[in-house]
Amino acid sequence: MESRVLKPILALYVAAFILFLYGPFFVLTILSFQQGPDGGPQFPIIEWSTYWYQQIFGLTPPSRIAPLPVGEALIRSLVLAFMTMVTSTVLGVMSAQAFRRKFRGSTVVFYLIVLGMMVPGVLTGLGTSLLANNVIGITRHWYTTAFATHVAYTYPFAFLVMLAILNRFDGSVEEAAWSLGVNPWTTFRKVTFPLIFPGVLSAMLFAFTLSLDEFPRSLFAAGGTEDQTLPLAIYGTFSVEIHPNIFAFGVLTTLFSFALLSVYGVLMGLSVRRARKLAMQEDIA
Amino acid sequence: MTTETAIFRVDGVTKSYGGVKALDSVMLEAGVNEYLSLLGPSGSGKTTLLRVIAGFEVPDAGRVYFQGRDITGLPAHERGIGFVFQNFALFPHLTVRKNVAFGLMYGGETVSAAETDKRTQAVIDMVGLTGMEDRGVDQISGGQRQRVALARTLVMQPKLVLLDEPLGALDANLRGRMRNELRAIRERMGVTFLHVTGSETEALAMGDSVVVLDRGRIIQAGKPDDVYSTPASPAVAHFLNRFNLFSGKLSQGVFTGPFGTVAVPKATRAADDVYAIRYDRVRAQPIGAVTSGPALKATYIASEYLGSSVMNFFETADGKVVEVEHHLSLGAPQTFEPRQDYLLTWTPDQAIVFGREGK
Repeated sequence: MESRVLKPILALYVAAFILFLYGPFFVLTILSFQQGPDGGPQFPIIEWSTYWYQQIFGLTPPSRIAPLPVGEALIRSLVLAFMTMVTSTVLGVMSAQAFRRKFRGSTVVFYLIVLGMMVPGVLTGLGTSLLANNVIGITRHWYTTAFATHVAYTYPFAFLVMLAILNRFDGSVEEAAWSLGVNPWTTFRKVTFPLIFPGVLSAMLFAFTLSLDEFPRSLFAAGGTEDQTLPLAIYGTFSVEIHPNIFAFGVLTTLFSFALLSVYGVLMGLSVRRARKLAMQEDIA
Repeated sequence: MTTETAIFRVDGVTKSYGGVKALDSVMLEAGVNEYLSLLGPSGSGKTTLLRVIAGFEVPDAGRVYFQGRDITGLPAHERGIGFVFQNFALFPHLTVRKNVAFGLMYGGETVSAAETDKRTQAVIDMVGLTGMEDRGVDQISGGQRQRVALARTLVMQPKLVLLDEPLGALDANLRGRMRNELRAIRERMGVTFLHVTGSETEALAMGDSVVVLDRGRIIQAGKPDDVYSTPASPAVAHFLNRFNLFSGKLSQGVFTGPFGTVAVPKATRAADDVYAIRYDRVRAQPIGAVTSGPALKATYIASEYLGSSVMNFFETADGKVVEVEHHLSLGAPQTFEPRQDYLLTWTPDQAIVFGREGK
């Protein structure tokens, strides 16, 4: 009875939520097909065209609107996100592994790690830039100072994901491997890691997307124009004039994110089958 | 048993968790090629003891010796002691064959691929898993998983295998079959098994000797029939789950309990005065019957059919349940009227009496 009333309401609510979530993206998508180079970033659509997409890839004749200065920034951001992903995930797995046993000061260490995602990014960025410039005296770069702030920011996410995964991990399979004469490192490689791999994937996804998207830390810690990451480069174009090429670029990056999510989904699906086997085994116990 | 023939020895091992003693100066020894069963209720420390021997836990005090060597500080993977888990702990991402070959492939000693294949196949054949080699461990039954767990351990040819309630996850039918197989496999391999169990029937049936553990202490060790017929303390008698226990007072060779006063020619020394009579030694008689021995008035509640015997439950005036077992080989069971009073009696010299006066 209750569900007959509640279910439609909840369905409506979810629909509204999704609309709200994807609404901006829809508007963006529509406007990205605006006519160019004269069409502006607003309705109505003068004429449907793919001009702005072509402009991003430099396929249009030169016009008064400069192409987006995002090429190098995109490469920098992708490399940075990859570096951050690898570092944060390795750190996250290792420290979550350490937290499987209580050690002296573990609570303090826990909060110190998690603090990285709590402190305002602007402060971390500013602090890092001051530290680099005035205290240590090194030049800021996207692959040095900005990289450090990105790791400090994404590592707690990877750590928390791995902590949750390892919390539910039944250590008896590791003990079984030890009792067969297999040393702890090989046991980790051959038993633990394959079994926690779904979690590692999630941690990687978190670290990568958070870094790719990062703005306030990069703003201060990345250095000059030749060190700009993608979000900084995009923001930079706002200060002049907004053209639909930004929207076209937004659509492309969103599609890239979906592709990334699909890869994640496929890999997850493969490893979840493994996890299900483990769960079955635990049910017996 | 001398130290020379002992395969392992646990010497005064103590282990506490947050102030609670799980093991309290435990001494234990097992010989080469022996089946030792370790009986204890949950929380008695039996799993902890096994984990200390395996090297998964470090004892607070005491030493562990294996093949004459002190291995107390040695990590688990360098000990060469097999361990079979209650939940089997199979590697869920590997096939049956890879599970069994795991130790040979990744263990400390280098074994050639050909040798690995040969030994793996031999053990798989021995435990009766031929034809299942390439299945995932989620595609086989509980009993088969148990065999994989055993095969995986035995392929390493350990001199000692620790089994932590290995039959606990199996259904009764399978448990019976696996009991026989475990014994047979062990005899063929000539390995020492230390089998931990909470089931008294399993402990008595499987062990060459039985060790009873209670609250972190070994309270009796011996041959199964000795432990069964002469439990060393009321606690042992209680775990064996075959005795009605009555508390009372033992004074100058006379035990006074709820059933009256009985002369006790021989008593075992214990901290409490307890009178124990086996379930199948008690007889129920009509209330008017004349008895020479102890007589206990009790109300019949219910009975349970156990296949080869019938268990009858009676309740005394003070609410204690007394069990009376009737073996069907001795004839048809008596029928009792529910809520009727009966007189329970037994031959006094079949009782086991514990008390401060005992020797």
